Amino acid sequence: MRAVPLPRFLSSVKLGYLNVVNHLLAFPIIPVMVAVLLQVLELGPDELIAHWRSLGIDTIHALCTIFTVVVVATAYFMSRPRPVYLVDHACFRPPRTFRVPFATFFEHASLVPFFDEKSVRFQVRILESSGLGEETCLPLANRYIPPCPSTEAACAEARLVIFSAIDELIAKTGLKPRDVDILVVNCSLFSPTPSLSAMIVNKYKMRSNIMSFNLSGMGCSAGLISIDLARSLLQAHPNSYALVVSTEIITPNFYAGNQRSMLLPNCLFRMGAAAVLLSNSRREEDRAKYRLLHVVRTHEGADDRAYRCVYEEEDGEGNSGINLSKELMTVAAEALRANITAVGSLVLPVTEQLRFLASLVARRLLGARGGKPYIPDFKRAFEHLCIHAGGRAVIDELQRSLGLPAALVEASRMTLHRFGNTSSSSLWYELAYIEAKGRMRRGDRVWMIGFGSGFKCNSAVWRCLRAPKAPVDGPWSDCIHRYPVHVPEMVKLL
Amino acid sequence: MDLLWTISTTLLLCSLLSILWKEFDRRRNRSCYLLDFVCYKPSDDRKLSSELCSDIIVRNKRLSVPDYKFLLKVVVNSGISEETYGPRSIIEGREECPTHDDCVDEVDDCMYRTLDELFLRTGISPIDVDVLVVNVSMFAPSPSLTSRIVNRYRMREDVKNFSLVGMGCSASPIAIDLVNNIFETRKRTLAVVVTSESIAPNWYCGTDKSMMLGNCLFRSGGCSFMLTNDPSLKHRAKMNLKCLVRAHIGANDDAYGCAIQKEDDEGRVGFHLSKSLPKAAVRAFAENLQRLAPKVLPMGELALYVLRGFRHRLWRSKEAKTDAATAARVNFKSGVDHFCLHTGGAAVIDAVGRALGLTNYDMEPARMTLHRWGNTSASSLWYVLGYMEAKKRLRRKDRVLMLSFGAGFKCNSCLWEVLRDLNDGGAWDDCIRAYPPQTLDNPFIEKFGWVKEA
Repeated sequence: MRAVPLPRFLSSVKLGYLNVVNHLLAFPIIPVMVAVLLQVLELGPDELIAHWRSLGIDTIHALCTIFTVVVVATAYFMSRPRPVYLVDHACFRPPRTFRVPFATFFEHASLVPFFDEKSVRFQVRILESSGLGEETCLPLANRYIPPCPSTEAACAEARLVIFSAIDELIAKTGLKPRDVDILVVNCSLFSPTPSLSAMIVNKYKMRSNIMSFNLSGMGCSAGLISIDLARSLLQAHPNSYALVVSTEIITPNFYAGNQRSMLLPNCLFRMGAAAVLLSNSRREEDRAKYRLLHVVRTHEGADDRAYRCVYEEEDGEGNSGINLSKELMTVAAEALRANITAVGSLVLPVTEQLRFLASLVARRLLGARGGKPYIPDFKRAFEHLCIHAGGRAVIDELQRSLGLPAALVEASRMTLHRFGNTSSSSLWYELAYIEAKGRMRRGDRVWMIGFGSGFKCNSAVWRCLRAPKAPVDGPWSDCIHRYPVHVPEMVKLL
Repeated sequence: MDLLWTISTTLLLCSLLSILWKEFDRRRNRSCYLLDFVCYKPSDDRKLSSELCSDIIVRNKRLSVPDYKFLLKVVVNSGISEETYGPRSIIEGREECPTHDDCVDEVDDCMYRTLDELFLRTGISPIDVDVLVVNVSMFAPSPSLTSRIVNRYRMREDVKNFSLVGMGCSASPIAIDLVNNIFETRKRTLAVVVTSESIAPNWYCGTDKSMMLGNCLFRSGGCSFMLTNDPSLKHRAKMNLKCLVRAHIGANDDAYGCAIQKEDDEGRVGFHLSKSLPKAAVRAFAENLQRLAPKVLPMGELALYVLRGFRHRLWRSKEAKTDAATAARVNFKSGVDHFCLHTGGAAVIDAVGRALGLTNYDMEPARMTLHRWGNTSASSLWYVLGYMEAKKRLRRKDRVLMLSFGAGFKCNSCLWEVLRDLNDGGAWDDCIRAYPPQTLDNPFIEKFGWVKEA
């Protein structure tokens, strides 16, 4: 019925071939049209009129032809999928009372009864070289001694972060909750029943025929999975509004054990949430900020090594936590390569694609003698980049493997510094950074890349339709003037 | 001149034909065919008899004697037989402290056994799956359950997977809605949906009565089914989706809070079912039926309903009828042949049956499913469907209505049309001949008859 999946090399060749075939008509038609145009220009106006008269076309005939062309053109344009617009987005702004500077983190880790001294020092060392700053925030329940991660506290955190983000989005866009047709919520590590989507429907009194979906367990790349789902739903329902909420609730996920590979999330995950309003309504074309061009999802779960590199399990003492394997960087790089192969064929200029293909073929045929692998110049396809702020090591690795300049990864580094790893919402904090810095221009393309457990790598490509006017109101309003900061390799605490 | 006329007429005809073809193709892709479904049958060592239930209840030393009596009463009067299944961790005495592995194993067993059989029966390879949806309301590990399936079956890297969590007992139609929407945007797509519930991590070990009901009624179960919009597979499909209606009344605070996971006064997490649940269910049900009726009922019945409405309004003082009774006079049986009702409990089935004007024959599949499998949450609809199929009730062109309720509060429904005569035994194969039994009474009613005297 369908073919066996192709090896990666042949996938790229297949994508290139598909591109050519999809635009097959363009290839012969363009030279023909150019030739005809040149011929026509060579003739003088009198000769053209004489030719026209000799055809003997009468008015009715001309009208019929024009009518045909108009009908076909209208039908064609109406049958194309409506574009998906991003009207606006808003992020949760954590109050200063939630801040956890390094000293607070260290003191708390020392005072709670779970950690032995080695674990405390290990966590502090991680924090020192993590790229996080002193203003990242943790929920109150995790700062009690000992933490009390009750369901009620987790719901309270959810209400705080999600409702703040949605309230701000409503203030920015004038959205009426009853106009929301589609609601997609993703939160990986906290999923009460009724779901967080039901909690939002209840709070904002949304309509009874709302299409709501609650995704959970899908990791840090779930924000783009939600965007993909919202896009599919919008394509099936014209003139609709979709509210996408991405968050991670930290309260229930405090790891109270001493296994090192499971202590990292304690150090890196911080509070955050984002609310995004998408629409395919023609009314929003006038004020939408971005247009969604592509969403590409890659799932490496078929490979056991990739599947197990971010894994929830219990340690020897029965404490539940997320185990991050040492191979995470390698797996992330491979997942990214798979994803950008697919994205590249959609966004790179033809010359870059051909060069990439040629390099691939040469390496395949000649092995190492075929030369180093050609890394396409993604700067020619995008003006801005938002890489999930998973940790300093992830950003370093991506910068190295894609050959990116420091300016392109600045948004990711600064978001990691100011807000920490906010999981699926981090991409929206990064976009807010670029806007707050006044760097976004009309026509700019933004590439968002998210990674997460599974192992998944998801990408979304946006085009800016309307540059936000400075000063931009958002999570960076009170601190953008201090950024960018230099983030040292190591911030010594002890 | 003639040539020009010919050319322009041909162009016009071609353009009109291409527009018509595009429209026809789009409508063709809107179809959602159910290729097959497989219900989960756990191994026999996981059967929960009333005796075993009583032992498990007694293990909770926090309960007082009136609490025991209350719980035993619920178990004995629930309409649930001795053949239902529970998770291994509860049977083996670890209900208060299940390990992560216990929870994962419970769901894995359901997912993998049903998927193995589904791929075998349909002859379709996991590599060909384009969309994968899993809904398990109360358990969401990392990586997600969809990733577990992708890993085990080595699915493609561009498979679109979605893990729906927290969506309650009415999540099956929600998963179908998700897939149906994706089908509208992609041609020749194959989707696999797995629906189940996780009981092991959600055992309530406190003393709040409103939270203990869940312990008594929920049972292990699940279903995997395959959907496609590929017209070339129509000849193999069992049913075709005609319409789907979702009603969410979470905007009402009472409805939102009537079935909610929360902590009791002592900080133990449980699933609270409040006294306002029946009222919320009625409201959600009415909301759903209002939108469902025009899509399901034939024109004649709709016209009659409108006329009755006018008459009721004009002669209001003479006819003091309630809304429920008016609803009962809408004859849903004119547009629907079979009813798959969510097996939330005997009272739920009876109430819904009364509201729709159903006979014992119509409600038999739901009652028998509750008896044989208990309340398996979102997958219960599929066991009910399995009963109908095993009893050879499903004939070509029959219309089947699936109706379920869930936390939020939601009432979701979908209407299927049967494409060919169906006669698979499925999970009911070994016991369908014993159904319907002579009596639904619990055999331990004599042993625990003293609870009735309390």
